[in-house]
Amino acid sequence: MSNDDTHGAEGAGADPYADFRRELAEFARSACPAEIRAVVAAGQKVTKREYLGWQQILTARGWGAPSWPTEHGGTGWDIMQRLIFEETMAEADCPPLYHHGLGHIGPVIIRFGTPEQKARFLPRILDGSDWWCQGYSEPGSGSDLASLSTSARLDGDEYVINGQKIWTSHAHEANMIYMLVRTSKEAKKQDGISLILVPMDTPGITVRPIRSIDGWHHLNEVFFDEVRVRADNLIGEVGKGWTCAKFLLERERLPPANVARLELVRRQVTRVVEEAARAAAGKRDFSSLRYRLLLAEADVKGARVLLANATDDLKNQRPLGVQPSVIKLMCSDVAQRLTTIALDAVGPDAAHRFLVDEGEGEPGATWVQNYLFTRARTIAGGTSEVQRNVVANELLGA
Amino acid sequence: MSFTPLFPGMLLDAAARFAQDNENTRDFGDADPVREMGWTCTLVPEDAGGVGGTLDDLASIVVGLASHGVHLPVVETCAVAPLLLQAANAETATRWLEAVCEGSAKIAPLTSLSASLDDIAVGAKHLDIGYAFTGEVKGVDVSLAATHWLVPARLQGSGETALFLVDLEHLPAPSATYRTMEGRRSADFRLDGVTVPALACIARGAAADAALERADNAALLLTAADTVAALTTLIEQTVRHLQERRQFGVALATFQVLRHRTADMYVRYLCAKGLMLHAFQEHARGAANLRRTLRLMKVALAETARLCAEGAIQMHGGMGVSEEVLATRMAQRLLASEFRYGDRMTHASQLLYPPTESAATEAAVAPARGMSPAARSSS
Repeated sequence: MSNDDTHGAEGAGADPYADFRRELAEFARSACPAEIRAVVAAGQKVTKREYLGWQQILTARGWGAPSWPTEHGGTGWDIMQRLIFEETMAEADCPPLYHHGLGHIGPVIIRFGTPEQKARFLPRILDGSDWWCQGYSEPGSGSDLASLSTSARLDGDEYVINGQKIWTSHAHEANMIYMLVRTSKEAKKQDGISLILVPMDTPGITVRPIRSIDGWHHLNEVFFDEVRVRADNLIGEVGKGWTCAKFLLERERLPPANVARLELVRRQVTRVVEEAARAAAGKRDFSSLRYRLLLAEADVKGARVLLANATDDLKNQRPLGVQPSVIKLMCSDVAQRLTTIALDAVGPDAAHRFLVDEGEGEPGATWVQNYLFTRARTIAGGTSEVQRNVVANELLGA
Repeated sequence: MSFTPLFPGMLLDAAARFAQDNENTRDFGDADPVREMGWTCTLVPEDAGGVGGTLDDLASIVVGLASHGVHLPVVETCAVAPLLLQAANAETATRWLEAVCEGSAKIAPLTSLSASLDDIAVGAKHLDIGYAFTGEVKGVDVSLAATHWLVPARLQGSGETALFLVDLEHLPAPSATYRTMEGRRSADFRLDGVTVPALACIARGAAADAALERADNAALLLTAADTVAALTTLIEQTVRHLQERRQFGVALATFQVLRHRTADMYVRYLCAKGLMLHAFQEHARGAANLRRTLRLMKVALAETARLCAEGAIQMHGGMGVSEEVLATRMAQRLLASEFRYGDRMTHASQLLYPPTESAATEAAVAPARGMSPAARSSS
């Protein structure tokens, strides 16, 4: 980065994306239904209903897949346009895109799939007909994912899958799972892993909910007992699934949504603090929360510059180095701090009525739930400890 | 790993080379390298004999010096002084700016290093033949000899802001002199009873307020550049120490707790750098919310500087408390910079509790120590 650095969303002078930004903003405000935006604005959990509703509207406009090439129904936007899309949508309180289909497996199919697989799966991701979940983690394979042991053996023109996945978000509402399975045992643990797509209604699949600390149901265990799936559901080469997984990780190393959503959360938490302060009528002191909000605001601004510069590096095919790890560490930290501020603001009022009987929480407890949910930000997608190892290896040598 | 340079270019190279050659110079004595290097001309417009450079150019010089731990009052003599002089009418401003560039006048601000420039400590009473000052200015940088001082003051009666350019001979000797936390020379000046001729008042009212705000913006930005440059060196030095220092038969760099602490420092550093560059860009394009961004940056950089300074001292072990170690001097510099041009609590207070109109009016009519309405409305 340099001082004459005018690249990225930070660039000085005339903004070449100004018209684009304006067009997106107008669409977001006019086309996204008020009831969907209200859920996002309040910081409530976005469910399949909101994701799907908004996805279908965007697809009808031709913007259903901002990260896909045009020949597969995507927008063909460059990385900066994607960043602007995320920022503009977050500013207008629109839901994020459902990442498992559009952000994860879709691009993998585009890169590694056969023409038949592309024709079979991509349109259904785009219009929301298929709802995907990800089968990666296993009880014995968390950060050390390559040690996974769920197996798939070839039997005629089918694979037979046995094993267990865990922490599977959305498995209870998804109709498809993309999963890493071991198709052979090799000396190197990354070898012999394959990526396969499995319909969730296949006999032998059992989904067991995991009640997470936030009181919501989004995590599951998924058991596979002699699950038979057609062999042409395997993506890429047999035994080379790790390559697909790495491609996905590389692609998702700079999720533009992260920083854009942080600014939305900051606005929400600011509102929560001010409302709580009004309700407390001078009985509680909110100055420390407001000070912490200032620090978070500064960090969101800083993170935005880091993302804009990394995005520009990506666009110009310069190496990203440790930037993705730095941004992940930053964003997860700020997200946790913001929701902690909200917890401090609403805690006395909300902690004792965390969940209503027979319910999934109520508005008063939203920010208790958000606080607890956000604990996972420093765990999922590579723990902060793993990210620090990556950064430290670069600074100090391995 | 190597860090990408901040504000790269020939100015950075020249300043860094000078700083490298003078890395161990704590006191420049009677020498005046700032003026000898021509740095005071950087922000002076070309038609006044200057370079007509930008704040980025001056930031290159600040960064070059800070990276090697050299202390010189570049912010005060090369940014604050020329920007305040530009508040005067064109003829006066040009004359004095030319004198600055030629070196015939050495002008420095008589302002506290720790206060925002619009936090005015001096009152000025209009007499028949000039003005009489009241008040005391504490912690003025006196690292280099000055021939003239720029004194912001609040005019009694009208409450207007005024800028005075005062010959050295009109001012008393300092009431006390000090060494600052990081090794600069500073002094307190008691101005009660000091009189100056009417011509010493070079600007007043809106022109003076606007100049003070411009100078304060520049000072905050350049201090931030200094801080980010110091952070760069601090982390580089800490990394080197961890790689070279061996305990229990292994390099300190093999201990995960130290590796993670260094990684955390690096992440905070990058965020601070991003915020600082963002603020420079807002300044360059004249963003409406620049003051807010600058205050936010000041608060955030103070937090980061403290965290990194303390981390580096701790990770250097016993060496971390020795001034002979460059990382320690960087830590001192970072801690001291926290308190330049308003500390984090002052700026946080302005962000969280913007003064009301009535409070602003009261402050304006007070003799000193109040911000002008113009300055307040821009918070």
